[in-house]
Amino acid sequence: MKAEIVKLIDTTKCTACRGCQVACKQWNEMPAMRTRNRGSYQNPPDLQWNTWTLIRFQEYVDDKGAFKWLFRKDGCMHCTDAACVKVCPSGALHYSEYGTVGLKSSLCIGCKECASACPFDVPKYSHADDKIFKCDLCLSRIRTNQSPACVKSCPTGALTIGPKDKMLKKAYARAKELGGDANVYGDKFVGGTHVIYVLSEKPEVYEELPKNPAVPASIVLWKDILKPFSLLVAGGTIAGAFLHYITHGPKLPDENGHDAEGKGE
Amino acid sequence: MRKDMIQATDAFERVVHWSLAVSCIVLFVSGLGMMFKSFNFIGTMVGGLRILKYVHNFTGIFFIVSLVLSIRMWWKEAGTFEMPGDLEWMKAAGGYLWHVDNVPEVGKYNPGQKAFFLAVAVFGAAMGVSGLVMWFSTGFPAFAVRWMYVLHALGFLVLFAFFFVHLYLGTIGSPGSLPAMTTGRVTRAWAKKQHPKWLREMDESAKADVHAGGGHG
Repeated sequence: MKAEIVKLIDTTKCTACRGCQVACKQWNEMPAMRTRNRGSYQNPPDLQWNTWTLIRFQEYVDDKGAFKWLFRKDGCMHCTDAACVKVCPSGALHYSEYGTVGLKSSLCIGCKECASACPFDVPKYSHADDKIFKCDLCLSRIRTNQSPACVKSCPTGALTIGPKDKMLKKAYARAKELGGDANVYGDKFVGGTHVIYVLSEKPEVYEELPKNPAVPASIVLWKDILKPFSLLVAGGTIAGAFLHYITHGPKLPDENGHDAEGKGE
Repeated sequence: MRKDMIQATDAFERVVHWSLAVSCIVLFVSGLGMMFKSFNFIGTMVGGLRILKYVHNFTGIFFIVSLVLSIRMWWKEAGTFEMPGDLEWMKAAGGYLWHVDNVPEVGKYNPGQKAFFLAVAVFGAAMGVSGLVMWFSTGFPAFAVRWMYVLHALGFLVLFAFFFVHLYLGTIGSPGSLPAMTTGRVTRAWAKKQHPKWLREMDESAKADVHAGGGHG
């Protein structure tokens, strides 16, 4: 385990140029797909198997009646306690040495369990490949001391990356500098994400951004309770059958001349 | 065919039973291979976890078909309880757990078997439904899919444990039972001990008469 890294997205510095969106596709060799005009610059409308990061465009009128255009770069948050890693049966989704969530595509079997488990709705399924895709924070670049493609392309300094403590300090300093509703989003839940936001508005203002993301209770019940319990119950049943056989004995027809009843009790 | 043997199941019942049994075992093994990382080697044995996924999914279809046939076939005999006889038997646990002088007489299926059948029917259906939602999960809201995983795990818990109970009571736990699902014929002595009411009904309607030389040699 190396020192944890954190990517900071300062939404207040984002101009929605979408350079990161294009750089991501270019570096990861993800094809673009034909889209249609939906009356928004937000394009494609959501994350896709081949679109691992997306600038969300949101028109917002605050309680004072002031119009604001909010830009938020969406994508994998790289949770410390990641629901996707928890459910992945093959180990394709894993924690990297930097604390981020990597994806070994060759191991992915396309079970789609991560897609429903993720509290941020990030992993996307490709029918053609029968595989899941998502941002891996350009692990191959980070391993060679390069910044991720999105950070490299950002012209305004909205995207920066560095050691966790340093980036958190920077984020809080920026939120304090902005004042008002400005806040830091990401370090307080799912064990702390490795992608954090500086938001100018309260988190609940943003579309598609969960206010209190967590590993869903259903996933915890499934993986931490029912899964181990199932083997325990099966083992107990086998043990019970064996005990029954050696204490009570099998139930035999009377004609066989055995007294099959009441041996143990 | 021996004179002291009586027909417990017909060929169709046995085919359906074993279809359900084999698909269940394949689903258990392939499911375990995906559920536990320490069982991933099961995937390796068939050429990878992805192939194991396909084995699991398509065996699931086979399982659903077998389950539907089972429910249709056995619902009348095993899906409904006969009171108060079945309740009496339940109170005595059929004489399986402690000594009972006179185990209340039961028909073709005892309440334990009925409970087992109903558990397989209910949880089997739950496995089929949740499995299909998981398979085609992109068409359902994530929230609903998550609970399908919970249901699938719960169904596995119940069915996997019941599988061993069934295996035990169908073999060494109750000698003489197994032929009901192999040749389909059980001994009169066994039937008298296990299902006396059923034997009496069979005798009364003369169904227990074994027609020797009926082509079986």
